[in-house]
Amino acid sequence: MEERKEGESPGRLVVLAQNCRGCRSCQLACSFEKHSVFNPGKSMIVMERDLVNGRVAPMIKPIGCDLCGGDPVCASACKYGAITYEAGPAREKIVVRPWSKEAS
Amino acid sequence: MKRPTTWIVRVDLTTGNVVRSAVDGSLSQSYLGGPGVGWRLMADALAPGIDPLSPQNVICINPGVLVGTLTPGTPKTTVITKFPTEASEDGKHFVGACTAGGRYLGLALKRAGCHHLLITGKADKPSVLRIRDESIDLIDASNYWGEGIEDVMIDLVEREGPESGTIVIGTSGENLVRHALTIVDRANSLGRGGLGAVMGSKNLKAIVVNGTGDIEVADPARFIEASERLRDSVMQWPRREHWIDLGLAAGWDTFKHTQYPGIWPKDRWDELYGEKTRMETVEDVIGCNSCILGCRLRWRTKGGEFDGEVGFGSPFSKSATSGMLLGEEDFRRMIHFVADANSRTGIDFYTTTRIIDFVTKMYELGRIGPSQTGGLELCRDYDTYQKLYEMTVNREGFGDVLADGWMRLKRDLGLDPQEYWYAGICKGVDFIYDARPSNFHPLMMTFTTRPRPHHGGSHTRTNSRNKTLEEIRDQVERWGLAKETIDHIFTESSYSGKFNVGRYTRYMEDMMRVKNAIGLCTIYTYQGLLFGDDIAELYAAASGHEMTALGMVECGERIHNVAKMINVREGFGRVDDAIPEVWFRAMESPEGRIEMQDYYQTKTLVKADTDRILDDYYDERGWDPRTGRPTVVRLEALGIEEFASELAA
Repeated sequence: MEERKEGESPGRLVVLAQNCRGCRSCQLACSFEKHSVFNPGKSMIVMERDLVNGRVAPMIKPIGCDLCGGDPVCASACKYGAITYEAGPAREKIVVRPWSKEAS
Repeated sequence: MKRPTTWIVRVDLTTGNVVRSAVDGSLSQSYLGGPGVGWRLMADALAPGIDPLSPQNVICINPGVLVGTLTPGTPKTTVITKFPTEASEDGKHFVGACTAGGRYLGLALKRAGCHHLLITGKADKPSVLRIRDESIDLIDASNYWGEGIEDVMIDLVEREGPESGTIVIGTSGENLVRHALTIVDRANSLGRGGLGAVMGSKNLKAIVVNGTGDIEVADPARFIEASERLRDSVMQWPRREHWIDLGLAAGWDTFKHTQYPGIWPKDRWDELYGEKTRMETVEDVIGCNSCILGCRLRWRTKGGEFDGEVGFGSPFSKSATSGMLLGEEDFRRMIHFVADANSRTGIDFYTTTRIIDFVTKMYELGRIGPSQTGGLELCRDYDTYQKLYEMTVNREGFGDVLADGWMRLKRDLGLDPQEYWYAGICKGVDFIYDARPSNFHPLMMTFTTRPRPHHGGSHTRTNSRNKTLEEIRDQVERWGLAKETIDHIFTESSYSGKFNVGRYTRYMEDMMRVKNAIGLCTIYTYQGLLFGDDIAELYAAASGHEMTALGMVECGERIHNVAKMINVREGFGRVDDAIPEVWFRAMESPEGRIEMQDYYQTKTLVKADTDRILDDYYDERGWDPRTGRPTVVRLEALGIEEFASELAA
């Protein structure tokens, strides 16, 4: 694995908003991993709710998220490919690709 | 190991009083929790014989035990109430349970500690019941009265925050239309039979819930291990890819045979309402919370007078059957019709369109005329349908008759609902399936035997045609039934074919009670993805009470018997479980005569056959086949002998 530079993250979470179905599994998995309870309010993820278009997307809070030590449970809980994990040095811990017609 | 505490919250809308109490642990053990416990609470909370639209009626809201626990497919909340649909000519009303998933509602209720929310009384003005954890109050909703469901939902979520779960009624609920329902969050309908009117009668425009509490399980390590195993196994489902692209719009090839209304040739139906129209309209598939399949839709109409219209829910099946019944060839118009019912008026689209079909045909035949319709000419065209729909929603003129449903058509116009040509009507409710194109399988049976005639979570593999006997058998084996019991079900007979639909139905209903108690969506069991043994392990880890699959079925039986006894004291018996008469008349279609046959289509069933199937159903339940009611012996065996006195009454 490539060596990590000062300030870099050991990997990154990629959020592909287009793929989110709003099932909230990421939030439940996160709070359970960290606190052994299910509680979206204790997770590192806020579910954005676009009321006009009826779309949702996970927003991961970078401060406090430790990427579960390299095996983030939000990414393994997401079965729709809205959150994936890429190991390897990364400048940003969280990368968001917002909803767009072209992305899929 | 700490067993999670669950709470009963009682709200009196008349006084504003709120009382919170913990659920007794032994009650949870006997009734599993969720609506299982809810049914037992309703036996005491709901006085028999009351008017469902009076302040005495109770709305009992119960998120399932596994809601919010990352278990695949467990978002469901079940609501129990006395429904305003007129179920019989002598004025009976059933007490029933309806279910809905959603992204927010169940989770919010559990986080707010509302495991059983019992609402009674009547607010003095239009109100919203607002729940913020333990702070529960009524807020003025005068500005919402007369507004559509979606607009109210959006405003409430903007005010209360993005985690808010909602139940909202539309204008039809305000106007006490007996088949008004409610919408949960945005895409899930709840309460065929008139939950919307019950809320309307209480001046309750909406319920908005937010909670911050934890959802705990008794044994976290055991729980997550079982839950993850299930997630992995559901992911192996070969049809998942197709399903997550089309959700409930998938499955046309099955649907077009099982729900065929018999008016157009099937290839014409294909062309007008088939998979192609669905593919071009679906934009996204929406998951309920914890669902890894997703079935609800966000769709957008392209072309035509409703170009660009966006909607939520699942408009395709409804629009396809009603489109054929009404002779409307433009699917976009019918989808618009469904969307308006979901997002604005909250009326039951099935019942509304079928009643419109019925009275229009009766008008064409001269059975009714302008003197009954208030001078309105009933033409078979979209504009007339829209007019009748608005009149029903607003109870204007002739619409006031239609708003009271099938029984009033008989009383006021002499039109017997049993004359209606599609689906069949039992206890005042039109079924969403018809047993002639579908064949007489257990779901058809449960429509007639369960207190509220709607599926409400009782699907099994037999919903699709020609599943193998092994598959059907496997479904009960995985719920731990004894071999002798299963052999008895799978004994061939002259009247039910290769397996006994009556005997099978009993277990299907008990499993439905279990699924609702834990909040499991029926799609997971219907598709053969989850079984009783899986659920028992999860239930034990979550609740801290050891449980087997068979133990769950036994609790399901207890719950079902309590539900039945609540309806026995409302006067229901065997006569109300009658199979719809239309099923015994052949459907004359361009595809030929379609008769009601057994599941494997070996013979046409006549009334003598279904009477014997019904006898077997009661026998399997240990009930009295003459009355169609539980027996004292059975109630005692289930430990619910406190209901025995109701049988004597």
